[in-house]
Amino acid sequence: MTQANEFKFFPGCFIGNRIPFIEASARKVFEKLGVEISDAPFACCPDPVGQASTDHLSWLTMGAYNLTIAEAEGKDIMSICNGCFQTLKLVNHELKHNDHAKAKINKILGEIGKEFKGNISVRHFVEVLYDIGEDKIKEHIVKDLSSLKVACHTGCHYMRPSEKVQTDDPMKPIKLRALVKAAGATVVDYDTEVLCCGAGTEHAEPGPAMAILAQKYKSAVDAGAECFITNCPQCFQQFDSKLRDLEKHTGIKYTIPVLYITELMALAYGFDPADLGIKFHRARVTALLEKHGLKQT
Amino acid sequence: MVVVDFEFKKKIMDVHIKDTLKYCYQCNRCTDVCPVNDVTGSRYSPRPLILNSFLGLHDAIFGLESSFNIWGCTACDTCDEVCPQKIELTEVFYILKNMSLAKGEGPDYFIGQASAIFDYGKAIPSQPAIERRRQQFGLPPVQSPSTDDVQKLLKLTKLNKLIKKE
Repeated sequence: MTQANEFKFFPGCFIGNRIPFIEASARKVFEKLGVEISDAPFACCPDPVGQASTDHLSWLTMGAYNLTIAEAEGKDIMSICNGCFQTLKLVNHELKHNDHAKAKINKILGEIGKEFKGNISVRHFVEVLYDIGEDKIKEHIVKDLSSLKVACHTGCHYMRPSEKVQTDDPMKPIKLRALVKAAGATVVDYDTEVLCCGAGTEHAEPGPAMAILAQKYKSAVDAGAECFITNCPQCFQQFDSKLRDLEKHTGIKYTIPVLYITELMALAYGFDPADLGIKFHRARVTALLEKHGLKQT
Repeated sequence: MVVVDFEFKKKIMDVHIKDTLKYCYQCNRCTDVCPVNDVTGSRYSPRPLILNSFLGLHDAIFGLESSFNIWGCTACDTCDEVCPQKIELTEVFYILKNMSLAKGEGPDYFIGQASAIFDYGKAIPSQPAIERRRQQFGLPPVQSPSTDDVQKLLKLTKLNKLIKKE
């Protein structure tokens, strides 16, 4: 018997098939907080930067295909990826508000016996965790992280375009900050907090993407941040894997790592860094963990 | 000579459902907040792209030496937030990107990703090493969709033509 408040869980290809340690931390945190999820054979969301740029009709069709899988069970989708969230939210929005597009997509989906109805919602996990509330999030904390200073980076597709995604303030988001504070870490203010990570322009030319990322690092490090906290796998990968390129580009050797918000919460909840697969990060986290009393066993 | 391409202009105005593009008064706020404009000395800039799209100046957008004027857009949606006329600029830029690929211009990456989605139903397909790692973390195997269904759909949308698949 499934629960009515259970979400269809949408980790996405990036997390599921590339950096699954993030999914591990997310599942642990959801279990602690009683967020019920179940899996489904979803296709690629598809990627709002990639597939939407390639062919709008295919993007709409595949997004609608995924929505019908959750609709069949009458459950809302919750994603732990900004890209998947934005695609599914925007496709749902477009098909709910544009009868012409809906008819066109349903004609295509009809060929495989599916129909988009538009009777579920799409949620971002940061919204879901925020709605659980600070008190309940704090209940499970066993490690004091108050000495850890972090720079929050929500990523663009979590909160924009705000008229359609309706998650947070699009230029001054509060929910990720609230989760970090609830987990016990200290949030620093830095002036490029809502700046894009630059990943979206990288396939056109890598230079501008590095120049954008450099602005983020400079301002976060100047503000005293010891790591980035994010809720987007694409942004995570920019922070986690581009330190060497960044050094080539700027001549500055940045060393601050990145943690997914669910990793931070899982660490505060006392999970062993080894069980969270923190060692699979490319930007080394070991020194940071040791400094704040979170040594790996 | 500047040539107005009315077919192109019509396509842009058609896809832009709310038809707000014509209310652009070129205030430049989009370009002011654009992170890519900021670091490229306006080699990528949303304001002229919107103007040229609205005017139907096809040749000022496509077929240039570099397609960075289109593909520089990082799809961050920041311009959408600040536009006083509520133009959904990023939506327009997606259409330009779609057109660019259809003309055989633009970065190869996008055709590659679309091919992976067509072949596997996932932009990033499952790999044995990652599956083993998932098991180490106690994660369930990744579920996959029916690739027959996915390919049927993507033939109906004619994506297979763009990525040159049967």
